Amino acid sequence: MKDSTARNSLTYTGIVLALLFCLLPFIYMAAVSFSTRADFLTVETPFTFTLDNFRAVLTDTSLHFTAYFRNSMLISLVSAAICVAIASLAAYAITRLEFPGRMLLLFFALAVSMFPQIGIVGYLYKFMASVGWVNTPQALILPYIAWILPLSLWILVSYFSQIPRELDKAAFMDGCTYRQTLIRVILPVAAPGVFSVFLLSFIFAFNEFMFALMLTTNYKARTIPVGIALFQGLHGQTPWGNIMAASVITTLPVVILTLIFQRRIIGGLTSGALKG
Amino acid sequence: MKSNNPLRQADPLTSQLRAAALFIAPLLLLIGLFILIPVIGTIIGSLFRDVAFLPRRFVGLANYGRLFSDDRFWQAVRFTLLFIAISVPLEIVLGLALALLMDADTPVRGLLRACVLIPWAIPAAISGRTWELIYNYSYGLANAIARWLHVSSDPVNWLGTSFGAFSAVIVADVWKTTPFVAIILLAGLQAIPKELYQQARVDRAGLFTAFWSITLPLSRPVVVVALLFRTIDGLRIFDLVYVLTHGGPGGSTTSVSLYAYEYFLTSDFGYGSAISIVLFLMALALSLVYVKVGRFGPQAQ
Repeated sequence: MKDSTARNSLTYTGIVLALLFCLLPFIYMAAVSFSTRADFLTVETPFTFTLDNFRAVLTDTSLHFTAYFRNSMLISLVSAAICVAIASLAAYAITRLEFPGRMLLLFFALAVSMFPQIGIVGYLYKFMASVGWVNTPQALILPYIAWILPLSLWILVSYFSQIPRELDKAAFMDGCTYRQTLIRVILPVAAPGVFSVFLLSFIFAFNEFMFALMLTTNYKARTIPVGIALFQGLHGQTPWGNIMAASVITTLPVVILTLIFQRRIIGGLTSGALKG
Repeated sequence: MKSNNPLRQADPLTSQLRAAALFIAPLLLLIGLFILIPVIGTIIGSLFRDVAFLPRRFVGLANYGRLFSDDRFWQAVRFTLLFIAISVPLEIVLGLALALLMDADTPVRGLLRACVLIPWAIPAAISGRTWELIYNYSYGLANAIARWLHVSSDPVNWLGTSFGAFSAVIVADVWKTTPFVAIILLAGLQAIPKELYQQARVDRAGLFTAFWSITLPLSRPVVVVALLFRTIDGLRIFDLVYVLTHGGPGGSTTSVSLYAYEYFLTSDFGYGSAISIVLFLMALALSLVYVKVGRFGPQAQ
């Protein structure tokens, strides 16, 4: 009895502390974004509510925030979609087809993902410059797909291998080809897993920083993380209100996604991590 | 479509091979073009003097030799190693605590799991800028809290001193990546049979005894996985220091990745490549150590 009371009070104290630690920076971010000035915490200047920061960020085209947001959405959605398609094909081959070097392929993918991004970006810049792709969406989409593929492959292999073989056999009896089996049988059954992989791929592409920093030069292809990182004021004063408003707008879709799909994201992350 | 079928029955292996080749081709093509070739290009590039306005020239291992006498490189290595040595254990300990909280049967479990994911899910560049504002010397949240709690009478110069900047990077990184560690550890906790805890209760074992003798030893494999992931990832740290401290003050928080980036930026491709390769070798060496320790260490029962 005493034990469970101790456990409960410990648990709830821990939960309150954990929530506070996780959410405090966001509360502060939101407070600054709705404030007339960023220094409202100093006693002399009380908090005054305003929507001006959001208005500026959404309507002032010279800040290019909407362009960054559009670029980020386009690049992340396309990367995630293609990544899932390519990883599904490969995961199907690995779990369902007999060919030499299957395990080798999985470990090759794992080894490749260990290489630090910095060891790729220099050469990638040279390559993109030589084909004239610097500052275009495809300069980011193609490396993003390649970069996220290993993780997607591992997660999908773990989901696909849980699907009973009898389902494939039944499909073959009905005269399906491999491609049809993948599309009509495996993908629908593994849909939750495939969706997890899509979500994770989207989040990884959306958050990527180094490639985007190196391979874009202005608002034509620059993504939100780089846009916000390089957001500077005109007169030496950092425009914190604008930066935090932009951060709130960018964080919001991610927050909504995680609140809705918390289970899917955790499922994807753990099945990828624990197989490795 | 139908014509495929007899072929598969007649010669299943050839047809399977052909299908497999077709199915893995896109993956190999993209990884080959955008990771493998750049990696090889970087390795070869590290053997050349490749700077702006001068002809490219083969120099053998000269770029690597240059590293030995480069104090700023060693400063970056020191920072990066110190960064993982402090942040990774913190993240594992806090992550385990967080995982236990997320595993506990409470009415707010779903909410807690979702909220904990948010710091991990948003771009590091955005959290980096938010922490930059939090650490602002004259009006940031960190010094405001210190003032309210009467911890210190003078504001702390977080980003202006090397110790302050180092602590700032650690706190921001722990905030962002502990959730990831917690989620991996949570999966390990959930795999522990609940009967063990019931047995412990029958044996009148206390909470901490149960934790020490059941939870900790049985989650060891998953702790090793989390350690490995975080160490490899921590070695590459770039976004956070780029945004939060710009590697300063005085280069004290410049990571190896950021240091290599500075050379790519100033078009010294050869030297930047050599630094990147050394970083990869560091990651490789550390992960081999983990694999050895993880597999051959004393097996807990």
